[in-house]
Amino acid sequence: MLEALWEGLLLVLQWKAFGFMLLGIGLGFWVGLLPGLGGATTLALMLPFIYTMQPVEAFAFLLGMHAVVATTGDITSVLFGLPGEATSAATVVDGYAMTKKGEAGRALGAALASSLVGAIVGAVALAAAIPVVRPLVLTFGSPELFMLAIVGLAFIASLSGEGARGMVRGFIAAGLGLLLATVGQDPQAGVARFTFDTLYLWQGLDLVPVLVGIFAIPEIIDLFVRGNSIAGNAPPGKVAKGAWEGVKDTYRHFWLTIRCSLIGTFIGIMPGLGGSVAQWMAYGHAAQSAKTPEERKQFGQGDVRGVLGPGAANNSKEGGSLIPTVAFGVPGSTSMAILLGGFLLLGLVPGPDMLTKHVAVTYSMVWTIVIANVITVAVCFLFLDRLASITEVKGHRLIPVILVLVFIGSYTSNSHYADLLVTLVFGGVGYLMVRAGWARAPFVLGLVLGKIAENYLYISTARYEAAWLARPVVMVLIAVAIAVVVYPFFQTRWRKRHG
Amino acid sequence: MKRRQLLVAAIGLAAAPMVMAQSFAGKTVTIIVGYKPGGGYDATARMLARHLPKHIPGRPTVIVQNMSGANSVIAANHVYNVAKPDGLTIGTFNRNLPIAQLTGVDGVKYDITKFAWIGSAANESTILAIRADLPYKNFEELRKAKETVVIGSTGPGANTHDFPLLLKDLVGVNLKIVSGYSSSADIMLAVERKEVDGRAGSFTSLRPFIERGVVRPIVRARSTEPGIDKLPVDESFAPNPRAKAIMALRSAPELVARPYVMPPKTPAEIVKAMREAFARTIDDPELVAEGKKSKIDLEYMPGDQAQKILADVMNQPKDLVAEFAKYIKFGE
Repeated sequence: MLEALWEGLLLVLQWKAFGFMLLGIGLGFWVGLLPGLGGATTLALMLPFIYTMQPVEAFAFLLGMHAVVATTGDITSVLFGLPGEATSAATVVDGYAMTKKGEAGRALGAALASSLVGAIVGAVALAAAIPVVRPLVLTFGSPELFMLAIVGLAFIASLSGEGARGMVRGFIAAGLGLLLATVGQDPQAGVARFTFDTLYLWQGLDLVPVLVGIFAIPEIIDLFVRGNSIAGNAPPGKVAKGAWEGVKDTYRHFWLTIRCSLIGTFIGIMPGLGGSVAQWMAYGHAAQSAKTPEERKQFGQGDVRGVLGPGAANNSKEGGSLIPTVAFGVPGSTSMAILLGGFLLLGLVPGPDMLTKHVAVTYSMVWTIVIANVITVAVCFLFLDRLASITEVKGHRLIPVILVLVFIGSYTSNSHYADLLVTLVFGGVGYLMVRAGWARAPFVLGLVLGKIAENYLYISTARYEAAWLARPVVMVLIAVAIAVVVYPFFQTRWRKRHG
Repeated sequence: MKRRQLLVAAIGLAAAPMVMAQSFAGKTVTIIVGYKPGGGYDATARMLARHLPKHIPGRPTVIVQNMSGANSVIAANHVYNVAKPDGLTIGTFNRNLPIAQLTGVDGVKYDITKFAWIGSAANESTILAIRADLPYKNFEELRKAKETVVIGSTGPGANTHDFPLLLKDLVGVNLKIVSGYSSSADIMLAVERKEVDGRAGSFTSLRPFIERGVVRPIVRARSTEPGIDKLPVDESFAPNPRAKAIMALRSAPELVARPYVMPPKTPAEIVKAMREAFARTIDDPELVAEGKKSKIDLEYMPGDQAQKILADVMNQPKDLVAEFAKYIKFGE
């Protein structure tokens, strides 16, 4: 195995493959930065260019690009509160709050450093999982996937505001999210739900316009009302430094970063859960690491752990989602489906062969993910502090630029004017939630997990009736979900008794 | 002076379509795809867009634009009602759009037979495959199965759902259809972990798993291609002519699986030029070689033929359509 690992590295380091990887990184960098233009679309556009390449060159190019998108997507999230990708929305919550406190540099440093850790953990997990991947993936059937979604929903308990009132609000928001996830034609009876006879809503709400609206619009209004810069209320002289502090934060919370990376990898391996789930689960887990109620209150107000968690998970899931694609020829996401097209184009048949005969190629992919992230993070650090000083630019100069990014970002999801309408409506919803002090994370969690939970519950019951509840992994996951829900209560009680 | 300029402009405009038919030089032809990037419709359109310019008079630029939503009804409505009939807009969309029109889906604002049809770039062969470790080796054995055979599906309107549904409801095969999987790849994984016993879908997507010995093909629909022509056809097991007609109606759009159209009233000479261009492009050795690599098999069916097949679909008696709509919903 070590030999194959070494061989894989040498394959990537050939000058041609390496050159193509650099090209991919350059492209992915911008795609991630600009909201809307997603990684999947870019992969589809770039596919024709690989016809004449060798497999290793092609994957260095495509994966290099894809691995970087998730990393630089976080930059837009942190700087402008505008999710650069659907998969980097969780970074907005604490990342942008830190930016407003004048800690943009630190938040960016933390996001990038944790991305790097995440990428490495994901790649190592991918490399280590290759021998056991088939049984691992096959253990998780629809009932288990349903329970994973439930575990995800259980994190609402720790993502909601403080006290009974915060909890009730959290569950109402999550309920609303779940409800909105049902919009569109249902896959069981084919009935159109909540579409109000419009064609646009037929396939459900797109995540990007909703996320861009709910996170970015309230912040733009806030910036406009305040009349100064994004970091306008922060003490002067603090903004343009701190990137290194963010790196140190990553090591201060090293095990949290590792745990969140593992969560990301695991969710990535499970096909059918989708990319946007991983970071929210990681965010929920990070919020749980708060030891006191006072600490917990800091989440959403700019706690660096709220950046580290999603940052790590976001990149580690890439390694994970390669696993079902490579080992079964079953892609875990749209991007992976396009990549699978690339495999076929190059004459490689994904499946068991990739784990034995072509294992060096598989390992070269692992290396590409790692090296691409190392390079990106290194390059980013060169101008991170300067990037952070954007947050000192006066709002009236910045708002038009951000607004353009907001609307281009949402419009690119369907090229339909209704995309803009959705952004505005959810911008309004987001603004009301912020004003009333409701946490937005539970709402998004409900929206992201709703469809998954519904479909896998239906499949589990249709296939096994009630018997699926007795499956061992399901029972373990039920216990985990309960533990996640009651943990905050016990924590408070324990503090009271001993504090 | 002004009037003269106007006159010149008017003459220019009137003459434009004629000039265009001879040459698309310097123009941009847009292919509108009714789905987001990443699927088969998109991949086919992008492959054609790369090779079409060589075969269209004047070598225009050909680009692909994605217009997703409502299983591509939005794109079809756009090409039918908004796009100009000047040969610069081509639409490609869900092959089941005729079914949407036939069953009276809300929001349909096109008449499928009135598009200016370029033709179809491929046909699609739907088959049902079951796990190779099951005791049923052929359709007759599956039909006599005592135990229920579970089939995974993505949802109504997809061939993963509708094809086995008719076998179950009309032929009486002991199937149970479990829907809600996010993609056909997702069902494949469920097959591997034995959560379901099989799935229906296009032969192209199932072929690697048949070759690997994971599943065994059992029965196919009318549309066929080399490799499965020996499989029995679902219609041959229909208990009565009515059931047979319903099955035939479901599979008709699969003969026109990659529809390419232009707006209604596109001048005949432009349609002719495009049909010739598509025919030549699909035979182009470079495209064939590329298709072989990426496992996209193209086969051109001329527009008039496609139009005839779909006109037949639209001309079915009302009571048959009503019964058909009981089983088949438009979706995906």
